[in-house]
Order: sequence, then C-alpha cells, then structure tokens
Amino acid sequence: MPVRTSEDIARTRAFWAANKPLETHAPAYTPDPPVWWHVALALAVALILQATFAPFVTFRGGAPSLVTLLVAWYAVRTGSLRGLAFGLIAGTCEDALAGSSGVAWTFATGLAGLAAGRLARTWLADTKLALVPGAAAVTLLRYGAFAIGMQMQGRPLVLPLEHLHAALWQSALDALLTFVALQFAPGLLRGDLAHRR
Amino acid sequence: MVIVTALIALIQLDAAKSGKPSILAVAVGSSALYVQSAVTAASSALRDAGSGLSDAPRLAGENAALRARNRELAAENAQLSEALAEVPDARAIARAQALEPGGVVASIIGYDPENVFRQITLDRGANGGIAPDQGVVTEDGIVGRVIAVTPLESTVLLVTDGASKVPAVVQRGRWWGIATGTNGRIRLQYVSQDAKLRVGDTVVTGEGRSFHAGLAIGKITRVDHPEGALYQTAVVEPAVPFGRLSHVVVLPQPHGPAPQTAPRLDDSGASAGPP
Repeated sequence: MPVRTSEDIARTRAFWAANKPLETHAPAYTPDPPVWWHVALALAVALILQATFAPFVTFRGGAPSLVTLLVAWYAVRTGSLRGLAFGLIAGTCEDALAGSSGVAWTFATGLAGLAAGRLARTWLADTKLALVPGAAAVTLLRYGAFAIGMQMQGRPLVLPLEHLHAALWQSALDALLTFVALQFAPGLLRGDLAHRR
Repeated sequence: MVIVTALIALIQLDAAKSGKPSILAVAVGSSALYVQSAVTAASSALRDAGSGLSDAPRLAGENAALRARNRELAAENAQLSEALAEVPDARAIARAQALEPGGVVASIIGYDPENVFRQITLDRGANGGIAPDQGVVTEDGIVGRVIAVTPLESTVLLVTDGASKVPAVVQRGRWWGIATGTNGRIRLQYVSQDAKLRVGDTVVTGEGRSFHAGLAIGKITRVDHPEGALYQTAVVEPAVPFGRLSHVVVLPQPHGPAPQTAPRLDDSGASAGPP
C-alpha cells in the first residue's frame, strides 16, 4: 500500500472541496488527475479499437466497451464534474463514429462519467473490488440512457429484448475487464482511505 | 661422435644395399610430415587471414548488398502475397460492378464502436458521389443501405440490423414479404399463408427505393407457419458473408436522388409491396 503524505491528504481534501457541489462524500481514491494527453491518447486508442474490432469481440451480442471503462476510470480519479465533462467528449466521439446515434452516446456517456465519479465517493467504493460491480452498473446505466436518448430522438431501438441481452453481456464483460485491470495494473488507482479517518 | 657417424653411415649403407628406406630416413620423413603439415596449415591460415583482411571491405559490401536484396525480396514477397490474397476479392468486386456499372466501389473502414447497430463505415462519402438511401451490394447479394453521409465517409445500415426493412420476393413462387434484420440474421415477414415456402428457397429484393428487383438477400433456413396467424414468417440466412467483407459496391439510386431529409431506418419507399 503506498505511503500517503500529508501533502497527499491535503490535496485530496482540497480537491474534494472543489468538487463539493456533486460530492457529498470524500473520494475513496486519491484524486490524481492523469496527464491530459495521456487520457486523450487512451481515448483515441479505445475508439479506434472499438470501431475496428467491436463485431469481432462480441460475446452473445455484447461487446466490451473500453470507452465506458476509460470514462469511469477518469471519473473515479478526478471526480464527478470532470467525469461528466470527459464523458461528454468521449460520447461525442462515439456519436461521430456511429453515424446514426444522433447525440445519444454523448449524454449517455456523460451520465456514465457523472455516475462513476459519484459512485467512487460513496461507501460503495471503500474497496477496490467494489468497482467491479460498479463498472457493470455504470455500463448498464449508460446503455439504458442511450436507449432513452434514441427514443427521445424519435429513433427507438428495435428488438428491445436483444438490446437488453446485449447490455447485460456488455456490463458483465466490462466488469470482467475491470477485475482484470485491478489485478494486473493496481497502479491505475491509488488510495488508502486515510483521508477519511 | 666418430661412433655415431660410423653408426649412421653403416645404417645408410645397409639400407642402400637392401634397397629399402633406412630407419633414419623413415624417422626423418615421418617427422617432416608432421612439421610440414603444421607449417602448411599455419601458412594457409596466415594466407587466408591476409586475404580475408584485404577482402574485408569487399565482403562487407557484398554482405550489405545481399541483406538489402533480401529485404527487397521479402517486401516484394509480402506485396505479392497480399495481392494474391486480394485477387478473389477484387474479382468479386469487379463482377459486382459489372452488374451495375454506375456503382461506386468502397472499402470498409470501420464498424459501430459499441456494436449496438449492425452497420459499417465506408471510405467514400458525399465527395465520392454517395448519398443517403443508396443500396450497397457485393457479388453475393445485398449488404445494406446508406443511412448517413459525411463528405469523406458514409455509414451503411446492414440488412441484418433490426431496423432494416427491405421489400423481398421468394424467387420460386414470387411471394412477397418484408425482409427484416434480427441483429444477426434476416426474418422474412408478412408472407401470405398461401405461399408454399420451403427451406432452401432463394429470397431476392423487390423493386424499392434503394435496390433494383432481383438482388439476392439469402436462402430460407426455417419456415414458421403458425396456425391461425394472418401471415407466415421464415428465417433467412444472408447471402453475403458479413464477417469477411472488405469491399462493397454502392449502387446508384434506381429512382433518382432522395430528398435531403433525415435518414430513414427502413426501406418502406418500395414501389411495390406485399399484398
């Protein structure tokens, strides 16, 4: 477990205070905004991978969503407001690539970022493993928001049962990827809850 | 010394008398053999080393040239292998384009990033003469319909997407229906109960906004004939292998350009439909 300095804790508290409008709890992880161009590069890679290979990594109708996981990770590390902003940007890119989704992914992904950031500031995130079902929940929320967004744009998703099935599998795959990432790259998140005590 | 000299002389005289090589000659000759061999080997090594040193620049040059040639040949081999792999694809596209000379050949560059929609992205857009509602085909049959166009790329809704609807005809009996995607296969719907559908029947397009009549959609793999229902349905295996697509042909619109409105997700502008 990394040693937290008083500077870390002070930064945590300052950051939390700055995000207070949407943060009613202290974050479970050390707020540590990644370098912006690292995030931009990761988003570009995730989008290219998904747009190139999504049909080939589909399992029972659902394909893992790297974009969702990236947005959720960024939101957990930075907070709800930044998560919302990054989600809107990532969703805009997905809408541009999808071509026929209007703005549904934009707002659905923004909502996912907001929810992930908020989730990481509740007792649900007291252990890192709680992020695994958290990723599944955020993925389901995003898919549901997307379906509602399509409905509001006058283009409802046909075959709703198929989409529900795909959404459940996508959330399961995202949860699995989150678990694998936490096991093999624990440095993606750092935090020891010291600031809560 | 006198005794040794006398001994040597006697041995030699005795050998000369018997006509055989003396023991001294054999000993000296044998010794000389090893020495000569060693000296020859050493001198050869020295000669080789000398010539190697003198030839080093030339050999290095030859080596570099051979390596460069090897790289060229490897690259050429890769290009030829790729060209060979593309030959069947190129032939198929050429045949498809021959069916519709006004068509535009386009490459597939992407898919829906979340795989929510069964759609593909083409490398040709409005600048390449693509417009919404144009049909997309290969030699095997229909692929889908253009639903969104930007200047440089266009999005095609595959015929297997749940939102895709294409007027269809069962070739054997001219029975009409609507081919609807099921996010993987195609379902032929609204076929009259009088139709005698069979597994293996070929389903083709009816005349519509995006497609001419007679383009292959697929073959029937299952017939659902529920009692008491107004219509019967059938499951159709698509004629196009969607997992192996790399190039397609975008057809010109059979009935002229569509009005520039929001893209529609079905092909209900058919000039003829099911009864």
